[in-house]
Amino acid sequence: MSGGIAVGGGAGVAEVGEVAAVGRGGDPAWLRARRDEAWELYEATPFPSTRSEEWRYTDVERLLPLGDLEKRPIGSKWSGELPERLRRVLASDGEGAGRVVEMDGRVVSARLDPGVATAGVVLSSLADAACSSDPVVRELLATQAVTASDGKFPALNAALWSDGVFVHVPRGVKVELPIRLSRWVSRPHTPTFTRVLIVAEERSRIAFEDEILSPDFESATLASTAIEIFARRGARVRYVSLQRMGRRGCHLASQRTIAERDSSVDTLNIALGGSVDRVDLNARLVGQGASSEMLGLYFGEDGQHFDFNTSQDHVAPHAHSDLLYKGALDGRARGIFRGIIRVHEGAQRTDAYQTNRNLLLSDHAVATSLPNLEIEADDVRCSHGATVGQLDSEALFYLMSRGLERGQAERLVVRGFLGEVLSRLGRSVVADKVMRTIEAKLVR
Amino acid sequence: MKKSPILAVRGLRASVAEAGVEILKGVELEIGAGEIHAIMGPNGSGKSTLAKVIAGHPGYEADGGHVRLRGENLLDLEPDERAQAGVFMAFQYPVEIPGVSIANFLRSALQARLEDGEELDLFDFQDLLTGCMGLLGMDPSFAQRAVNDGLSGGEKKQSEILQMAVLKPALAVLDETDSGLDIDALKVVAAGVNALREENPEMSVLLITHYQRILDHVQPDAVHVMVNGRIVESGGPEVALELEAQGYEEYRRTHAA
Ligand SMILES: Nc1ncnc2c1ncn2[C@@H]1O[C@H](COP(=O)(O)OP(=O)(O)OP(=O)(O)O)[C@@H](O)[C@H]1O
Ligand SMILES: [Mg+2]
Repeated sequence: MSGGIAVGGGAGVAEVGEVAAVGRGGDPAWLRARRDEAWELYEATPFPSTRSEEWRYTDVERLLPLGDLEKRPIGSKWSGELPERLRRVLASDGEGAGRVVEMDGRVVSARLDPGVATAGVVLSSLADAACSSDPVVRELLATQAVTASDGKFPALNAALWSDGVFVHVPRGVKVELPIRLSRWVSRPHTPTFTRVLIVAEERSRIAFEDEILSPDFESATLASTAIEIFARRGARVRYVSLQRMGRRGCHLASQRTIAERDSSVDTLNIALGGSVDRVDLNARLVGQGASSEMLGLYFGEDGQHFDFNTSQDHVAPHAHSDLLYKGALDGRARGIFRGIIRVHEGAQRTDAYQTNRNLLLSDHAVATSLPNLEIEADDVRCSHGATVGQLDSEALFYLMSRGLERGQAERLVVRGFLGEVLSRLGRSVVADKVMRTIEAKLVR
Repeated sequence: MKKSPILAVRGLRASVAEAGVEILKGVELEIGAGEIHAIMGPNGSGKSTLAKVIAGHPGYEADGGHVRLRGENLLDLEPDERAQAGVFMAFQYPVEIPGVSIANFLRSALQARLEDGEELDLFDFQDLLTGCMGLLGMDPSFAQRAVNDGLSGGEKKQSEILQMAVLKPALAVLDETDSGLDIDALKVVAAGVNALREENPEMSVLLITHYQRILDHVQPDAVHVMVNGRIVESGGPEVALELEAQGYEEYRRTHAA
């Protein structure tokens, strides 16, 4: 079988349950049924091949030998000390409204600021919330945003997810500081499947920062994530994903944001680590006046492979979306951006923009940029643009003529180039962390 | 008594690196410590090329002659090494560096002069920057703007002078820094150059210009005329006045390509 994947190799539903049943007291019947259905879809869905447009530049079979990934039942919860690197990150992150630590696909702690909890905000292990049949989780988990019918990997994730985070912000509650999720993946060769479900009720506000870290691995190690975000009328959600995995870490993320009337959902995807990162992001603007700012930033070196597949679905009229993805690629790194703005019939007065810019730092790095538009309404303002450029030699000369060495001059130009994305965030822990990581990459 | 030269350009020939077209055809120029020299000349005569060859632009190749700064041959040095040696060029067309603030950039440039392990004192830097901006009548927020990105033509020129003031070179080559400045800005820039020279009387200036008006404010010790890749006449301030009245027709006829 093409793309024979050990996780799937003849695994029956019973085994699916074995991998996944980690919540409190095992899966309730509705969840078991949902997993079974997802598994069937997974088995019925062909493996993504480079013959399909969406996977043309990412040969999953070659980059991620799923055939020899190990399927092990999710072990017991992490016990003992947290790894040094993770502890350093946790210590430097500073104040937030809440903090979740996820170790090898299982939440080991979820702490919410007492004041925020009193306001009715829920922050919990997704498995716990599902196992206690939280009605919101039951209604929305893998049913409307990232569903099993979205593709091979979303189906696999929906069948096998072990844990993740559930955030529920009640009407009108504005959480000012971000909630942070810090994930650590440590078991070589063992895939993890996790999900995040964020539901922001009317006029509420929440920011969520999702960081994934790992050590270097000897062989490809998959972390699959599904991110589902619902912003009800007038709500404001910001989601940041920061991928800083070690060598041979493979991150496959499926994200969908659903923005209802007058709400905003802003996302930022940052890919710095790992060997392969594939992000499928779909922003759906389903209510009038909804808006999404979609930012992306990547810095690849060696043979790192980053693939962003984005779509902006304007279903409702008078909505606004603005996408800016920027990346620098060194060594033999590969960056792929495929983006589409879809303006559905009736989505008049759509305002949608899409820009992807790449800076190549070596002759062997490759950037592929495929922006696209599909417009079925006539009164819209849309634009898309893509650039792939090298370091500007005039800029380097200018900086060197003031006394900077070539390397320093290059670093300054790259920093400025990528800084445009971070400056849209304003001063933040994420921006500082990203700058420090980029800085470290640049001096290598 | 003539001071020993800061800059000595001898028989300098230079061409565009890829095309091999010769632009400088044997330039002779000597500037003493603390002197101000102006170069004038028609469009396309090679003035900017001379400036860029002095600063080390990789797009040009020196095919003959030498350029010495205090006796050291600049042509062997990288652009950053020339800057460390004391050369500064204000660009005719300053380059935009999006996302990099002027303050940040200047801090890096000063830091680059220090020995490994030495750290630039941030308070000293701030004082220096604030002082220079005050001298040039600039709003303190200006240093937070990106290097030339989104600056008006005149602001770019002022930013070049600010950089010169902070970096305090031994030789400042100002390539048409006066072009594009309004009358007030021109006076401020000229005052800045003069103030810097007061602070450091040894600083030499090579001022490339098309107009007499800047020379009313920054008094040159010598004026040179460049035509077709050569300096064809050198003299005192009166040369500029003659040019203002007569133009380059006479020179063009006698020094055609
Ligand atoms: N990189 C280059 N490639 C091709 N030609 C060049 C290049 N640089 C300079 N030249 C040519 O060399 C000649 C001298 O140019 P330069 O810029 O030095 O003139 P200039 O005296 O500074 O003129 P202006 O007064 O207009 O600034 C011009 O004919 C110009 O077209
Ligand atoms: Mg010129």
